[in-house]
Amino acid sequence: MTTGKDNQLQRSRQQANHVHLGLMSIGFCARIAGYPIVRMYDNPEKSFWAQVWTEEMYDCQGSPAYVVAASAAWDFGGDIKFPNSEWQQAPSVERYPVQSEEDVYRLELPDARTAGSIPFAMEFSKLCEHHHRPITLSITSPFTSTGNVCSLDRLCRWILKKPEVAHKLIGLVTNHLLQVAQYWVDTFGIGHVNLAVGTPSESNQVISQKQFEEFAFPYIKELHEKALGMGIRRILCHICGEQNLNLPYYAQIPMGNPGIVSFGHEVDLNTAIRYFGDSCVIAGNVEPQVIQNGTPQEVYELSKQCIEKGKQSPKGFVLMPGCELPPMAPPYNVYMLKKAVNDFGWYD
Amino acid sequence: MTSIERTRELLKGLSDGVVAFDEEAVAKLSRDVLEEGIDAQNAIMNGLAIGMEKVAELYVKKEYFVPELLLCADALYAGLDILKPYTKVEEQDVKLRIVIGTVEGDIHDIGKNLVKIMFEAAGWIVYDLGYDVKLERFVEEQLNTKSDIVAISAMMSTSMLAIPKVIEMVKTKDSNAAIMVGGAPMTRNTAELYGADGYADNAGLAVREALSVIARLRSATQK
Repeated sequence: MTTGKDNQLQRSRQQANHVHLGLMSIGFCARIAGYPIVRMYDNPEKSFWAQVWTEEMYDCQGSPAYVVAASAAWDFGGDIKFPNSEWQQAPSVERYPVQSEEDVYRLELPDARTAGSIPFAMEFSKLCEHHHRPITLSITSPFTSTGNVCSLDRLCRWILKKPEVAHKLIGLVTNHLLQVAQYWVDTFGIGHVNLAVGTPSESNQVISQKQFEEFAFPYIKELHEKALGMGIRRILCHICGEQNLNLPYYAQIPMGNPGIVSFGHEVDLNTAIRYFGDSCVIAGNVEPQVIQNGTPQEVYELSKQCIEKGKQSPKGFVLMPGCELPPMAPPYNVYMLKKAVNDFGWYD
Repeated sequence: MTSIERTRELLKGLSDGVVAFDEEAVAKLSRDVLEEGIDAQNAIMNGLAIGMEKVAELYVKKEYFVPELLLCADALYAGLDILKPYTKVEEQDVKLRIVIGTVEGDIHDIGKNLVKIMFEAAGWIVYDLGYDVKLERFVEEQLNTKSDIVAISAMMSTSMLAIPKVIEMVKTKDSNAAIMVGGAPMTRNTAELYGADGYADNAGLAVREALSVIARLRSATQK
């Protein structure tokens, strides 16, 4: 069983001339460890070890993280349902804390130390510190988090009909996320915390470039600038789904030096390198449904194509699924990512 | 008797009101339609529905996005709420029917709702099962309604695995059922792999795909 600082350093040295592999896996780790998916969310210790064991099994350099995409709803006082059936992948919102315009003006910032999922996430991060793993605070972006606080369809209506209400709520949510980040920096120290930010609701399958410019971009920029300013080490920004129209804006947002920017299969890696290659490590973007439903050969070929493009990235490349690794993906298909890295991932 | 010009003016106003997501204008024009004795079904199909067709085109062309679609739908329903009670019952009998829902384990329903709106606007009778729908509910509803299409949505890579199971369950009980699927993780290839008859990449394409599936299956049956 590989754990500990020495082992991690050894692996880093071995992989220095090599494309890295990241699995972006949560539910899949539960399968590897023989747990129901809910353990990844209701038991930080089991969640931590399941992720460590999965990394060991696939020999990949990951960064274990406690990830609840719907956490903002929970933090602001909504109700969350943990996954409890074979078809559920992650916690989901059962009751949104904000259901009307009046609720927005009544809403107060939650306690950034005790609200919702925060105690679970802190326990997880302390395990990371204790076992010499990178400490990563994982959140969703201000716009996506706000969609979890008031429901995405309500937020979509407000950005056209009541933009002032939308701005008020997104601003409040941004302040909450920054307070949580400050709590992590206060606990673990300046330069010891990474921030992972997911941005699924910003997808151009949902909002336009113009709407992104007004309701997402300024808040992500504020979040990143202030987080880096308070001592966050680097940011892993997962630009989820079809976001080609938004890329010029993301390129103006600081990610740390270097940050990591990961993409879904909808963004071509050559495009990603053009926008971010000089300042960020690029990560992505094997289509998750191919990993889940394709043949091993299809996964291997797709991974090879990603590596061949990604290797051109000046600051480095991490082969990853384009979004969370499907929990039910065949383990041998997942191994095809590793095999492709071994076969094609060496730098000259 | 309302003149042809006035009727056209009202129908165009309804269509334009939906496209401009002007709920108040659509509601007022719908009341005008009734007051002026224009057939409610005509106003729905040649006013509101035409507007929603244009909205679907704008969405496919990426000129409209989900926020615009939702507000256009609000305008559509403002009109439908006023006009629908005045449509004749026999007109309901000849309509196409669809059972729709987001599959068990999945609470994402914006996409499903947008698809539902497109079918309602196109004059279909929609049996909306909601979200996190138990698999057997699709079967029961299809057996009860004998709908022309069963539409199943999933947004997660785990919940999408329920789709082939639902398809098998529905087809076992009703071999003629036509099944469409959609949702972010789905692709046409996956839809075929899972045994679906149709797939729409987005809400704007869903009605066209459904009509194509029905035509294809009916043609195959006649052969």
